[in-house]
Amino acid sequence: MDCIGLIREFLKDRLGADPEAVVPGALLADLGVDSLMMLELMFEFEDHFGIKLASDLKTPGTVGELVELMDRLIAQQKS
Amino acid sequence: MNRRRVAITGLGLVSPYGGDPADFFQRLCAGESAVRHLLTDDAPRPLSMPFVSCPDFDPDTALGKPLASMMDRFAQLGMAAAFAAWDDAGLARHEEGNTRDRWGCAWGTALGGTLAYEKGYRELWQKGRERLSPLAVVLGMNNAANAHISIQLGLGGVSMSHTVACASSSIAIGEAFRRVRSGEATIMVTGGSDVPQAYGVARAWEALRVLAPGDADSAPRACRPFSADRRGLVLGEGGAALILEDWDHAVARGAHIHGEIVGYGSSCDHSHLVKPDAAGQVRALRDTLDDAGLDSSDIDYVNAHGTATAEGDPVEIAALKTVFGDAAGRLAVSATKSMHGHLLGAAGAIEAIATVLALREQHLPPTAHLTELDPACAGVDHVTVARQQPLRAALSNSFAFGGSNAVLAFRAVAS
Repeated sequence: MDCIGLIREFLKDRLGADPEAVVPGALLADLGVDSLMMLELMFEFEDHFGIKLASDLKTPGTVGELVELMDRLIAQQKS
Repeated sequence: MNRRRVAITGLGLVSPYGGDPADFFQRLCAGESAVRHLLTDDAPRPLSMPFVSCPDFDPDTALGKPLASMMDRFAQLGMAAAFAAWDDAGLARHEEGNTRDRWGCAWGTALGGTLAYEKGYRELWQKGRERLSPLAVVLGMNNAANAHISIQLGLGGVSMSHTVACASSSIAIGEAFRRVRSGEATIMVTGGSDVPQAYGVARAWEALRVLAPGDADSAPRACRPFSADRRGLVLGEGGAALILEDWDHAVARGAHIHGEIVGYGSSCDHSHLVKPDAAGQVRALRDTLDDAGLDSSDIDYVNAHGTATAEGDPVEIAALKTVFGDAAGRLAVSATKSMHGHLLGAAGAIEAIATVLALREQHLPPTAHLTELDPACAGVDHVTVARQQPLRAALSNSFAFGGSNAVLAFRAVAS
């Protein structure tokens, strides 16, 4: 599963969010992601991709920013 | 002091029988036990004991998956019971503005989110994981149930949890009652929920040698309060909620009033952690009557704490005989734990509902499986078969480990 797939599945499960609404331009806050849920999402990413996220990570605003950030970290930690 | 009358306008529970409070009460009156044999797949040795579960309760269906996934099972049971009581009271789930700033929640739970913490330990110690979900704290905290209830119902007043072992929810109800009576709160959501099937918790109770034995065949009859052959208590999970409301407020909005809560007394034996003391129980009973402005002759029924332990049952009867004196022999007493089990922090709440329904229906639920009375428990009118009878007022007892005692007094309302 890729990053956006993980976000879609998580938000469908947790908020009943329509996967089609989870597009790169969508604001995470508009989708219903609060600070606690953001922590859960990051936890899911760590678990699923076997990466370790720094504790001072800047919180992304949109789905696209989150995907970009995760893709970069996954690539970095694999190399 | 200006005292407000306090109406009970909503009752709700997650019933082990699967139905609503009316169904729950009918089954109690039929003497129908909800106790079954519990067999888990826990390592190193499965739990195997008589237990009361709520098998029909599906949190995702009852609460919706997004809300259910934010809660441990104790909070799920509590939230579902609170929603049911709220709907029963005819109150809207959502309200605009700040009209509920003086409405609150007082919740009882002995164990809180123990099950959530135990799940965490399993992840760490059995599955070798090194970290836990960021939700672990908010799932496990003891005030999770009341926090969710206040958020979901928009209650802006006090939101608190009470942890007093087996008296938790009687104390929660009593404290909620005082807030409404004093005028501090217009409406309080109160009650309790607990999930004693946590592996470490059930094993700990086993080690105390107070759990009744039983297999698949004998489990329904395992809990026999006041009986000569009683073997101990039966643990159970569940959630039960009551809506306490300022009487004038309830009348003004045309609410249906199930009954009136009129008194609350509490005490501590201050003598022993697990050995109950009749003198402490007597003080709680007398405090309750004083608080309610009732005489012992006004009481027509007592829902006993009656857990079916060897030590506890005779002490409770001795306390009742002291308070009711020569009239004790005519005092109707029953222990409904014989059928719904011991819900620990939710016990007081589910028994408060049984007591309120007894007054409303003018019908006494029995102590089930009481065929041979222990002579040490004699001296009151043990109700062994349900019966119709005029009932004016009733008490519900909760006597906890630690010596904490709580008694609630209720009065019937003319329909």
